[in-house]
Amino acid sequence: MPDVTLVINGQTVTVPAGTNIVDAARAAGVAIPVFCYHPRLPPVGMCRMCLVEVWTPRVDPATRQVVIGDDGKPVMALMMGKLQPGCVTPVSDGMEVRTATEKVHVAQKGQLEFLLTSHPLDCPVCDKGGECPLQNLTMQFGPSTSRFDYGDKIHFEKPIPLGDLIYLDRERCILCSRCVRFQDELAGDPVLGFDHRGRAWEIISKSDPPFDSKFSGNTTDICPVGALTSADFRFKARVWEVRPTASICPHCPVGCNLSLDMRHDKLMRVMPRENDYVNEIWICDKGRFGMRFIESADRLRHPLIRKGDSLVPAPWDEAIALVAEKLSQIREHAGAASLGGLAGPELPNEDLYLFQKLVRQTLGSPNLDCSTGASGAPEVVDLAATLGVGRGTNLAKSGAGTAVLIMGADPEEEAPLYVLRLRGIVARGGDLTVINPYPTKLERSAARSIRPHAGFEAFAALALVKAVLDQGLIATEFVTARVQGLDELTARLREQSVESLCETAGVSEASVRAAAQAFATAEHAIIIYGRAALAAGEDVLRALTDLALLTGKAGRPGSGVIALLPGGNARGALDMGVHPGAGSRRGMGAREMWAAARDGRLRGMIIAGMDPARDNPAIAAALDALEFVVVQDIFLTETAQRADVVLPTASIAGREGTFTNAERRVQRFRQARIPEYNTPAGWEVMQRIARALPPGRSESVTDARPVAGRRAQRASGATATATMDAPPATWDYAVASDVADEIAATVRGYAGTTYASLGLTRAPEWGRQPDEAVYYDGTSYQNAEGIGIQIAATADDPKTVFALRARVPAPFTRHATRPYLLLAVTRAYDGGEWGRESKLRSRMVPPHVILSVADAAAHSVAPGAIVRLESDAGRIELPVQIEVTLPQGLVLIPDVCGTPLSTIQTGPQTWVAISRVA
Amino acid sequence: MIGAIFKGLGTTLKYLFRKPVTVEYPDVKRPVRERFRGRHQLKRFANGLERCIGCSLCAAACPADAILVVPAENDPAAPHSPGERYAARYEINMLRCIYCGYCEDACPTNAIVLEHQYEISFYDRKSSVLTKTELLVAPDRGHGEIPPILQQLNRRPSPPAQIDL
Ligand code: SF4
Ligand code: SF4
Ligand code: SF4
Ligand code: SF4
Ligand code: FES
Repeated sequence: MPDVTLVINGQTVTVPAGTNIVDAARAAGVAIPVFCYHPRLPPVGMCRMCLVEVWTPRVDPATRQVVIGDDGKPVMALMMGKLQPGCVTPVSDGMEVRTATEKVHVAQKGQLEFLLTSHPLDCPVCDKGGECPLQNLTMQFGPSTSRFDYGDKIHFEKPIPLGDLIYLDRERCILCSRCVRFQDELAGDPVLGFDHRGRAWEIISKSDPPFDSKFSGNTTDICPVGALTSADFRFKARVWEVRPTASICPHCPVGCNLSLDMRHDKLMRVMPRENDYVNEIWICDKGRFGMRFIESADRLRHPLIRKGDSLVPAPWDEAIALVAEKLSQIREHAGAASLGGLAGPELPNEDLYLFQKLVRQTLGSPNLDCSTGASGAPEVVDLAATLGVGRGTNLAKSGAGTAVLIMGADPEEEAPLYVLRLRGIVARGGDLTVINPYPTKLERSAARSIRPHAGFEAFAALALVKAVLDQGLIATEFVTARVQGLDELTARLREQSVESLCETAGVSEASVRAAAQAFATAEHAIIIYGRAALAAGEDVLRALTDLALLTGKAGRPGSGVIALLPGGNARGALDMGVHPGAGSRRGMGAREMWAAARDGRLRGMIIAGMDPARDNPAIAAALDALEFVVVQDIFLTETAQRADVVLPTASIAGREGTFTNAERRVQRFRQARIPEYNTPAGWEVMQRIARALPPGRSESVTDARPVAGRRAQRASGATATATMDAPPATWDYAVASDVADEIAATVRGYAGTTYASLGLTRAPEWGRQPDEAVYYDGTSYQNAEGIGIQIAATADDPKTVFALRARVPAPFTRHATRPYLLLAVTRAYDGGEWGRESKLRSRMVPPHVILSVADAAAHSVAPGAIVRLESDAGRIELPVQIEVTLPQGLVLIPDVCGTPLSTIQTGPQTWVAISRVA
Repeated sequence: MIGAIFKGLGTTLKYLFRKPVTVEYPDVKRPVRERFRGRHQLKRFANGLERCIGCSLCAAACPADAILVVPAENDPAAPHSPGERYAARYEINMLRCIYCGYCEDACPTNAIVLEHQYEISFYDRKSSVLTKTELLVAPDRGHGEIPPILQQLNRRPSPPAQIDL
């Protein structure tokens, strides 16, 4: 767009055409007070706080020429003869804006005087007080007295709950509609609205349950007054009394930057921290309201040792000595390979790294995994490490020219903040395609939504590849330089046609072709895949890889693949080598370990931060069959209850560390408080065990295979290859940063991710400017602690060459007697341990099964009725919910606590029969 | 030289026959000035409700960081104070306090008032921290007007709108 030059308070600035005056002034460092406008929201011009004098060159109506005065300069005229709202007035050439004249000041004073006529002035008891734009602007621009009668103030009942999480105080609301616009335009959950008019005008929630959005907490931030406040922070402290500590949300692979606001070592509230690369200024409600678990009274405080049937508290020395003794005993008698280790993908990199070092190097066992090994858990196929999104990708800047393809993922549940990010891309002119076997909310924002039959996703993915080949959409330059096997691929797909593939998948050919066209012709394109894609199997991911490669959408900023893997730090777990393929010797994965435990080949296990026995009797039985199990966790989980030794650890508030997010950004979180109950960090526990172990044979973790070689990468779609140098055999880490230094030295790609350099990373151009309090007061915190370092993916090295591996999926046959395909779907509010003491408890759903309208009718079940589901593995009974848009033949079970999924699942996709019980 | 000595002794001699100015404390207690700033009290309204709404503004104003306020939400059925919020904990560390009266100035409800009591001593440091129980006046000692001591200061009542005096 052409640039426009204008003068603001005597300063000349040049901004893109279409910019509004407030933003142009920000560029010039002039703050225009606003209430309804926010730089992250579309403007409406509702509050009139931003009135300024706008002078434009006078145009002669007859000649349509600018009138030139005697001094040779254009004659200026006040636009429309009065003040103009800066937030909705676009700039134009030759414009002159004056923001500090007498006239403007009078308008600002008057505006504030009006706003305050119906404002209760209860700043002393208002949770927004101290970071309230209305307070601050009144002090800066407002009148010191009011001509209105104090007794005439409008009164409403004090706060009414707008859902369980947010309170609305209607007296304080200035009707700026920021909350409504946030929900409508950014979150895409239009659940708020206005009701009544005049003095009775008020905000209401239109949804049932009220304020049903995963982003509701953000409205309390952008509300410029204390009208919307969080029930979680209600009267906990004044905002100036809290000590904000930089943290990272551990709940999902987005890795939102948070601030844990502490007072007297207690968590008062959670606030977002600005980071355009990750979460802009938002966080989802799971991050905001799901952190109370750190102060739960149920936290483990002491090590526990099994004495007979019960676990009894024991001193640390005794517990560690016992663990070391038992583990080395098993190693002596049965060999290191009879030991195994599982670590949860929510643990920080430091813990995962030392866990891996302990098991693989010190104990000498290659059996390591970060998955639970439940029957329904899909194999993790990790394209994010190989293709990845190019280094330097900033989704907040992606827009027109970017095409996004979501394949088998429900970002709202698996990584909520991606909903805001992706909707942002669409709002800025990007293209969005959603391919998913079941309906998701993000579909509503998509240009096209493609719904393959469940089980046939691979055909839809292959149809995209075929369409790219057919329509000549190949990025020739990229393919010649970096891709091998094009001829073979063409040969493999010769028999196929887009039409037949689409027909098999049950999707419209036109929309697949359109999606392929949009993806290939866009300047940048991003693929996001998640649980449903992983469940559909490797063929889908092979096709997706080839789609990205053929169209040249890899290895450069703004393009690539993002994997929504389960767990907040799955990326870190894979990078740290917590998976069976990471060492020189392939070990057993979780599923093989459980089988080995049952038949006695596996004797001892060390499990950190994972609860595989939850809702899984088979795994619980396998655990019981083991000779010795040590569990490290923060709660006495079902797995911990079956352990021989339980070691408590600090939560993320009680220690420091790093996480790696889905876009491979390594981010550091700080210690917010002294560790709860003086529990040590997970990495310290690993170190204590390692030090107590008698020396034994050890195995080097050096990877025998070349990693990011020049050779065609055979495994571009397989689980990540090992990427680690042999760590030193010593265990002398005094602080977490010692571990981080070793990670930086040994884990490939992590070079440079020391705490010192992570802390120095600064926002480039988008960081908040010093005079921007006017816009950002009360919202997120400024990011002063570092925006993290994005490590390189294999594809970022221009020398890597990839092989095309898409293949025609084996014909997919329906089960003869079990006609329904069951998929387990992720729920953000899954009832896990993280939800303890959280206000989100009320949003967590009990176990249920979701049927389509037709299938429910066929079995004449109403919502709430109980049905029996039967598969080859077993049978379960669950209450029914009916989903209007669910395709017939598909059955969804939300993967929430208490659902006996393992009883019925034979794999990620399970054929079931349904019968009505009651 | 000699003259100066006699002048001094003369003064001594003069005072020898005057009435002594010594006050026989603690048998006799001198009245303090009206605006004397002594030990704090937390006041109540006439209906017995606590004036303090737990806003922490006194703590924010305190230059000695002597005040701790932990707020909580009133139970509408049995409120501690008018409105939604009250101080669940209110403590002043009298060893830190410099009796500047800023807390009194900051208080929007005239709840915290430096009264005239100056006999403040402790046997240990812990007891120098006065808690809400010690600071709060008896329930029948409330008043709707601003506290008497503050009236001489011509202090305007500035309660939050929800509080009707
Ligand atoms: S919204 Fe702002 S101005 Fe209104 S009572 Fe709360 S702090 Fe005061
Ligand atoms: S509740 Fe807040 S954000 Fe919503 S309209 Fe009222 S003042 Fe604006
Ligand atoms: S009198 Fe001064 S020092 Fe003492 S508590 Fe009040 S504000 Fe603090
Ligand atoms: S004494 Fe006054 S200033 Fe202090 S918390 Fe109570 S109401 Fe607020
Ligand atoms: S009208 Fe411009 S900020 Fe509200």
